[in-house]
Order: sequence, then structure tokens, then C-alpha cells
Amino acid sequence: MSAPSTPQPRVVLVVDDEARILSALRRTLRREGYEILTAETPAEALRILEERAVDLILSDQKMPGMSGLELLARAAERRPAAARLLITGWTEEVPQRELEALGVRALLPKPWDDGELKRTLRQALGAWRQG
Amino acid sequence: MVASPPGHDAEPTLAALRRLGREMELVPVQDAARCLAEARNGGVDLVVADRALGAETDRILEGLRSEGPPVVVVAGEASDEVALDAFRRGAADCVAASDDFPRVLAIVALEQIRRWRAVRERGAVERRLRTLERLNDVIVEAIPAALAVLDAEGHVVGVNPEFSRAFDVPPEAAQGQPLERLLPQDLLESAGLIGLLAKAALQRSVEARVARGVGPDGELRAFDARARRLGEDGRLLLVLADVTERERLAKRIADLQRYTENIIQNLNSALLVVDLEGRITFANAMAERILGATRLRGHSVGEWFPSTPRESALLLRTLEEGVRFRGAEATITRADGQLLPIGVSCAPLVDADGSKLGAVAVFQDLSEIKELQRHVLQAEKMASIGQLAAGVAHEINNPMGFIHANLFQMAEYLQDLRRLWDRAEALRRAAGEGDPERVRAAAAALAELASEVDADYVLADFAKAVRESQEGSERIRHIVQDLRHFSRHDPSERTLSDVNECLDSTANIVWTMMKHSVVLEKHYGQLPRLRCYPMQLKQVFMNLLVNAYQAIEEKRGPQGGHGRVRVATQRRGDTVVVTVSDDGIGIPPENLSRIFDPFFTTKEVGMGTGLGLSTCFSIVERHGGAIRVESQPGAGSTFEVVLPLAGGEEPRPEPGP
Repeated sequence: MSAPSTPQPRVVLVVDDEARILSALRRTLRREGYEILTAETPAEALRILEERAVDLILSDQKMPGMSGLELLARAAERRPAAARLLITGWTEEVPQRELEALGVRALLPKPWDDGELKRTLRQALGAWRQG
Repeated sequence: MVASPPGHDAEPTLAALRRLGREMELVPVQDAARCLAEARNGGVDLVVADRALGAETDRILEGLRSEGPPVVVVAGEASDEVALDAFRRGAADCVAASDDFPRVLAIVALEQIRRWRAVRERGAVERRLRTLERLNDVIVEAIPAALAVLDAEGHVVGVNPEFSRAFDVPPEAAQGQPLERLLPQDLLESAGLIGLLAKAALQRSVEARVARGVGPDGELRAFDARARRLGEDGRLLLVLADVTERERLAKRIADLQRYTENIIQNLNSALLVVDLEGRITFANAMAERILGATRLRGHSVGEWFPSTPRESALLLRTLEEGVRFRGAEATITRADGQLLPIGVSCAPLVDADGSKLGAVAVFQDLSEIKELQRHVLQAEKMASIGQLAAGVAHEINNPMGFIHANLFQMAEYLQDLRRLWDRAEALRRAAGEGDPERVRAAAAALAELASEVDADYVLADFAKAVRESQEGSERIRHIVQDLRHFSRHDPSERTLSDVNECLDSTANIVWTMMKHSVVLEKHYGQLPRLRCYPMQLKQVFMNLLVNAYQAIEEKRGPQGGHGRVRVATQRRGDTVVVTVSDDGIGIPPENLSRIFDPFFTTKEVGMGTGLGLSTCFSIVERHGGAIRVESQPGAGSTFEVVLPLAGGEEPRPEPGP
């Protein structure tokens, strides 16, 4: 059991245009003790960011209308403190320079490894806590 | 002509003259003026004038005295005075009336006519001689050759103006000079002119040589030199005709011949000339190389060029029907049996009058080009498939992603359920033993674990995860099916195929990559099956669809929104027309003419090979069709592919010149 010790759970926003992915991610992170918010479009994600103090954003890269990278850039304006993670299927180029400029913590592959995903999120939130 | 006064009986005279025969025409006149006019007009052989005309007779005699036909005077009575007077006045004879008058007059007349005719004939010969002399002078003066007449000692008797001009010697200065002094030394020696003259002096035939020397103008000139003995007196005629220009032209023709021969032999194309029977009359070195044989002359082209089927018998058709082909493709069979693709142009060969002589064929070995084409086609196919694969991979990645994650989760759920099952087993065993205390404890443990693992949620979510994974795997199966459909058959031969099916399977597979941003409209018409290379057509459609998608993406930018792609097919006459339209960024007018050029691209490096549309162009061309584009910058583009049902491939003759 790795239940959270803090009374206030960390808020994680997951963005993907594919509802099944959101469902699977929620399943994977079920026992991590986060409060999980989901958005199926970047626009919806931006709306949620306006309303909620989000600790971590995990976004898909390839989405209609706006790329994950762009969404993270906008998210950084609204919630500079939130950790930013990108999931990519490697079918499209993601410029490393932009990733670094945006301070994206990690690039996760799709399909992802459950253990690695959980570890990466914990690390990102831990680093956030220190920083 | 008989001249007698009016009222006078001229009959005896006329009767006497009639004795001369019917061929003698008798013309009676009655005065001197008329007589003279007729006589001077010519055609009158004799004038018989009656003394009875008196002064008129004298005028006739006077008028014809110096020239004209002879005049015979007839007198009523013979007297010496009368005769003497007549002779003095120029009469040719005088005949007096007597018993013998008709006989005497006839004899006199005949004699006078004979004489007069002899005189006249001599005059004509003299005139002809004079004409000939004049003609000779004109020829000698005007002939474009230098003439010199030499005496037996070799001294110049005379030269013509051309001689003077050519060797810069005035005619009078040439007179009496030895030839050696008049002609340049090199000219004399080059042809041994002196020897030539000596030889000519000994025989009657013409001696000819070509002599060369530097003329007075300093230019090297060539002369055709001929010498001939003129008569028995040892005089010689030397003719020097300037053939410098002729030789220059002959050399120029020879040079031109060598020049063209050189070009033809070193041409990078093979050239064959055949006669009407199809026998080779000329072949250059490249033709020998491509046909793989030497000494082609006299061979029938049928040994290499196909004569059947008719569509391939290009050279034969040029010979028989006079049609031309340009850049047609054919296959020849080499002597060693090897088949070689060639590009050939054939044209009938006609002479200046337009009558057929045979045919000319120019051809190139296409095997390297064909190989290159195959490579380019393959490279382009790989590039398009690469783009497609990226789109398809993304579409497979999503379901793969959640199925993968779900499986991990389901494994965890299974573990939870196994622990629950263990406790359920313990409960069952306790119940079997019948100890209520242990049963209660086992039930409590089960309930505690069920609550701990959130068993209700696990069971519900397990089912949900299975459902979602099933759905995901179904999606993957569908994509793979599309892919298989798309790449189902790739026959190297033309096959009767359904163009709608080709377009639809391509649109479906490309759709997987563009469904987020594009609405795809399909309008398929009723089409007959088309003899084609289906995989190649799919490649054309794929390129057009990927381009349409990219045009929309470029226009959309980060703002999002949806574009529209419309694919349509229809039958138009003897063609099948496929259109692919988009409402993307469009093509600037300045690029419209270049988009089908190989390597022309406006995409970023790595995004396009620049061969996509040029490959489409050549594929459509291979099907005997055409590809057209209409575009409005900012509004979109429409590509139209027209494919003839008759198919193409077989070369069609082009209209004559």
C-alpha cells in the first residue's frame, strides 16, 4: 500500500484526445493517491487549469487543434509551478530544444510501461515539492 | 515574173515560160514599181520584162541592176541596138520574137534561173560563215576559260580576254611570247604544261591535267588544263579553265560528308536506315552496339525489331503506312536472345521528289533508364509509405497504449481477485469443518480484504478494462485489415481492376492519419473495370490524398478546425475520371507549372522527396492518361486524373510533319 501520507492529495491533470487512454491512465494511477482530472481536448484542459491548482500535467503530444507541447507552453503561463510531462507515440518529431525551453520534466513513450510511468510521476512531484 | 504593158498580149511569153514546168510560178505585173517591189521582196528567181513597156523596162533594169534577180528582156523585133541597149542597162539576156521564141526563151530563162540560184546559195553560205565567225569571236571572248593559241615553236599567237585577266597579260603583250614568260612558274611545273603541249602536238586527242599555281591576286588557284593540236600546221590550243571554286565546293561537300558521318557515328543514339524491303542500308556504331552485331548492312531489321504484334511493329508500320513515331517504347531481341527496352523514333525516308526510299530509326537503350525509373518509383513509394506508416503507427499506438496499460492493471486486479479467492476458499473449508467461530473469522477476513481491494470496483473495472481492450484490439484489427486491403495485390502485369475499390482502400488507409482534422467526402460513380496497374494507381491516389491532407494541415495551423477532402469518380466518355479536391492552402500560380517536375518541392527538407507528383505524372502517363490541377491560393486545389479505358502503353503514331 502506498497511500498518501498528506491529507491533501496531489492534483494530476491528464490530457488525451482518446478517452480510452484517459481511462487506462486513471486505472494505472488508481493506487497512487492522486486526484486525477482528465480532459479530452487541449481547450478543456486549459479551462480546468483556470479553475484548479494542478500539480502535474501529463499530456499526449498528438492531438487535433493543438499539440501537447503547445498545450504545456500555455499551461506554463497559467500554472508555472506545475510539473509538465509529455507522452508521445514517436510518430512525430518533438524538438528537444523546445522541450528543454519549456522545462518539460519527461517524455514518456506510448505505449508506456506502468512502473516507469508511476515512478516518473512520483519523481516529478517530488522534485516539484523540493523546488 | 512577167512584166508587160496593159493591153499587150503577154500570152506568147507566158506560154513559153509555162514550158518550164508547173513548179514555176508565173506572176504577171504591168508596171515597174510593182515589179521592183515584188522582186526586192525576195522569192523571185527571174524577171521577164517586155520591151514594149518602154521607159518602165529601163526602170526595172535600173532598179535590179546591182542586186536582185536577173532580168531578161523580150523584144518584138530583133535588132542589135535594142539588144545592146538592154545589155548596157544590165539585162541578163535579150530574146527577140521569132519562130523559135518559146524554145529560146525557155532555155534562157532556165539558164538564168539556175545561175541566180547558185549565186544566191553562195551568198547564204558566206553569210553562215560570217555568223559562225562572229559566234566564235563571242565564245572566245565570253568563255570563262583562258585560251591561248600557240604556234609550232611554242610562241603565243593569240589569247582571249579571260587569259589576259587571269594571268594579268594584255593581249598585245602576249603576242609572240613563249608561254613560259606568260604563266607563273609553279603553274607550269605543277602539271608539266610544257610536256602536256609537246604531247598534244604529237596526237589528235585532247590532253588534260590539273595545274595549280598562285595567281596574280596571290591566291592559289587550280586549273583544268587541256591542250589540243589545231591542225596540220602545228598550232596548239591551250585551254585553262579555273576550277578553284569547283574544287573548293567539292572539298566542302566532302568535308560536310565527313562531318555528318562523324556526328552520326559518334552519336549517343543508334541510327539505322532501312530500304523499302526493311533491309539495313546504314547503321552507325551505336546501332551495332545496341543490336549486339557488326556488319549490319543487308540484314533485315526483322532480326531485331518485332514484326508482331502489330502495335509493336513500329518500323514496319513506318515502312508500310508512312507513319512516324517519336520516343515510342519498344523491345528488341538481340542476337544473343537478350531482350532490350529501347526508345525509338521512326520516320519515313523520302527523296527530294517525295518518293519513298525506306525509313530511318533512331533509338536508345532504355535499360538503364528503366532501372532508374524503377528505383525512383520504389523510393517514392517508400517515402509515401513512410508517411503513411507514421499515420498508421499513431492510430495503432493509441489502442496499443491503453491495451498495454489495461493488461498490467488487469494482472493487478487478478492478483486482488486471487487473494479474495484464497480467503473464499478458507471460508469454504471452515464451513466444511462446521466450526462457527472459524467460519465467522474467515468471513470477516474475506469481507476485510474485499473492502481493502475495493472488490466491487475491481470487478466492475476489470470488466470495463476487458471491454475497452477488446474494442482497442478491434480497432487495431481494422487498421491492419485496411492496410492489407490497400496493399493486397501488386501484379506486375496490367489487370482489370475496380478504380473505385483502389481509391476507397487508399482513402481508408490515409484517412486513419487525417481523421482528426479532415472530413472526407466520397462520391463514387458507376465505373467499368479498367485495365491498369492497381498498386500504381493506389500510389497516385495516396500521393494526392497525403498532399491534400498536408495542404489542409498547413492552412489550419495551430488554430485547429476541420478541412474537407472530397474524392470522386465518374465515367466521362471513354475515360474514367478521378478527382481529389481539398480546401487547403492552395498552390501559388507561379508553382502550378512546376509541381509535376521531378524534385520540385515546397515542403521542408525531409518532408517530401519532390518526386510525389512527378511519379503520379509518369504513372498516369504510363496508363495513357492525363493529370491536371486547378488551384486557388488559400481556397484549395483540385487534382483530376483522367484514365482512358483503352489504356495507353502501345505507342501511337504522331501526325506527319
